[in-house]
Amino acid sequence: MKSPRILKEHLTGYLFITPQMIVFLLFLVYPIMEGFRMSLYQIQYSSEKFIGFDNYISLLNDPVFLQAFFNTLVFVVCIVVLTVGFALFVASSVFDKNAKYVSFIRGSYYIPVMVSMVVMSMIWSFLLNPSSGLISYLAREQGIGNINLLGNKITVMPVIIFVTFATNVGQAIILYIAAMIGIPKDLMEAAEVDGVSRVQMIRHILIPSVQSTTVYITIINIIAVLKIFVVIQLLTGGGPNNASVTLMYYLYNNAFKFNQLGVASAVGVIMFVITLLLSIPQLRTVLRVK
Amino acid sequence: MRNNTFYSVLLTLLLLSIIGTGCSSSNSSSSDGGNEAANGKETVELSVWLTPQWKGVLDATEEGADYDSFILKAAEKFAAQYSKYNVKINTQVIAGDQRDQMLNVNLSSGTPPDVFFESVFAMGDYVHRGALVPLTDLVDDQDRSDIASGYWDAVTFNKDVYFYPFQNNPGTLVYNANMFKAAGLDAYIGGEQEIKTWTLADYEEILSKLKNNLSGSGYANAYPMALYGMNNQGDTWNLAYLRMFGNPFFDETGHIILNDEKGVKAASWLKKIVDAGYTNPGPESVTSNDANGMFLNQQLAISFTNPVLYNNARADMDSGKQTKFDMRLANIPSESGDPLTFTYVVGASVFQSNDPKRVEAAKDFVRFFSTDAELVKSSKNGIPVRSSVISEYEKQYPLFKAYNENAKYVFNFTGNVPGYSQLREQLYPELQALYTGVKTPEQAVKDYQDHGNQVIDTNRNSSVIFSNK
Repeated sequence: MKSPRILKEHLTGYLFITPQMIVFLLFLVYPIMEGFRMSLYQIQYSSEKFIGFDNYISLLNDPVFLQAFFNTLVFVVCIVVLTVGFALFVASSVFDKNAKYVSFIRGSYYIPVMVSMVVMSMIWSFLLNPSSGLISYLAREQGIGNINLLGNKITVMPVIIFVTFATNVGQAIILYIAAMIGIPKDLMEAAEVDGVSRVQMIRHILIPSVQSTTVYITIINIIAVLKIFVVIQLLTGGGPNNASVTLMYYLYNNAFKFNQLGVASAVGVIMFVITLLLSIPQLRTVLRVK
Repeated sequence: MRNNTFYSVLLTLLLLSIIGTGCSSSNSSSSDGGNEAANGKETVELSVWLTPQWKGVLDATEEGADYDSFILKAAEKFAAQYSKYNVKINTQVIAGDQRDQMLNVNLSSGTPPDVFFESVFAMGDYVHRGALVPLTDLVDDQDRSDIASGYWDAVTFNKDVYFYPFQNNPGTLVYNANMFKAAGLDAYIGGEQEIKTWTLADYEEILSKLKNNLSGSGYANAYPMALYGMNNQGDTWNLAYLRMFGNPFFDETGHIILNDEKGVKAASWLKKIVDAGYTNPGPESVTSNDANGMFLNQQLAISFTNPVLYNNARADMDSGKQTKFDMRLANIPSESGDPLTFTYVVGASVFQSNDPKRVEAAKDFVRFFSTDAELVKSSKNGIPVRSSVISEYEKQYPLFKAYNENAKYVFNFTGNVPGYSQLREQLYPELQALYTGVKTPEQAVKDYQDHGNQVIDTNRNSSVIFSNK
């Protein structure tokens, strides 16, 4: 007898969230389910055939996929560690300085975030092209010889990591500065009265106080780096010899160049599962903190 | 409270109806029965895609010349005289390296273009996948006799014609004759209207002299020859180099047979010229667009071209957009002494939209601009496939004769194999591995052959053409 009454009371609320739920189900849940379904099929333009987990098996037997998996893992770890570390360093150095100076720093680091990744990649391409790029030209002029950082399997990953990191780090700096400005002043003042050094203050007050921001930055960066694509497409094309191919680039090639939609969907499902697995423990941390 | 609930329900229903309406709206380029105009004819809207081929209708120097000028002109003329429907034709120019992505996305979502004007080699996969409709019924005896049989062979899949041949673009080398003179290579310079043929020994001497003699000239920052392998752009020239020592590339079953002594020799030669500094540095990270830009910027003495690229460059030089220099053509040399040459047959295809009226109008449009006496003259921007157009223009364009003489050396670089687009993606990673020393020439050609044949076999299993046999 109680349930219909509660339902009636909550009806308005449910009706208000219905449009969002419909959009959520249509444009997020349905594509995910459809992606999973497609990963079990061999799909041609005019037909599809159920093949079970064959797409997944063929992925595990494909050395390019394994290379893409490994590369993506390296990208995620390096870029997230670099971003969090560098953003913490910059933010903790400037957050309590003059407001104009803080604004300048924020603006400087945020400009690359606002510029399209395509434009950034083109600029880096202009610098790094081994035949006509500025860096290669200067190296030749200095007698160093030909430099091809993008064509060397040892240097290509660090270059891509640096380019992506340099483009994205502004976002993390902004978030950290905002979080640090929000820390109660009396904590800092008490620490100063106790005579702690700046390093100790950063280590024992600032970093623990912005833990939830760190978790958030880590999650969004993991997800962003898992989807790294434009910079690979424009700077290296996955080369040399697949040395910089990532899961997203591999997915793109299969879906839009090779017309292997089933295989591409299987990669998408794997990426979704990885993201979910990486995100859940961190989301639980956030919830626990709250 | 009751009122609030009522309004919430009303709002929700409204939103649902909007979403429902949005989901059920029809494709803008479709035709439907209630579309009759004042003249009583039904309106059919067609989308025509093309990759950049040539600028202008007849010439790149026309005012406002752009890549879609020809299609726009053809559409205007077609719409004015078409009696079956009122047609509205929308054109879209697609970058060559975006073609497959755009088509695959649109095919998957059921919105392919109606007509695509492109090199046939890049579109053969769509025939195998059943995405194109046959155009055999459009071809009459007059067309058959005006266009040489070799071109019809290139556009025929399992007895049906899928592309209406319009022009062709033979691939050759292009060289900077000023640089040749500066390097003391006058003896190797051909005539202005000649496609020069060098022996492989000549070619190696040319590369060597360009490398050693250019540094003291005004071209100190130039390299002898273009080489690229960052992606599949311009891979046809790379495929030609791999045939330099006589490897036939495909066997009679349509499989790659590069992994033999001749194939390894060709791969070794490529590696040798990279290591000797005869090419632009880092070919593994350079695209053919980069190479073309470098050649036009006089940073490369020998590069690649086809008549469209060549004519566009000439037009840019004449209009002052591009620094002028003496640009001439040469064949890709081979060990046997016979030149290696290939051609891109260019023409229009019609996609299966499952709308009979659109397919009918699209086929009529293709037939119209591929046969109209005035419009077919635009094929002179490349090399015309029609003998009638060649005879009309050969005095004005003496190179037509040179290309015609080369025709006997043409090889079919696709082998008409299913999955050619995917096969293209197998070559450049192996070239990258070769140039960076990750793989030996032996390993690179073996891996290319193994992976390539896997692609061919996989696509053969799902090919509409093969399953119809």
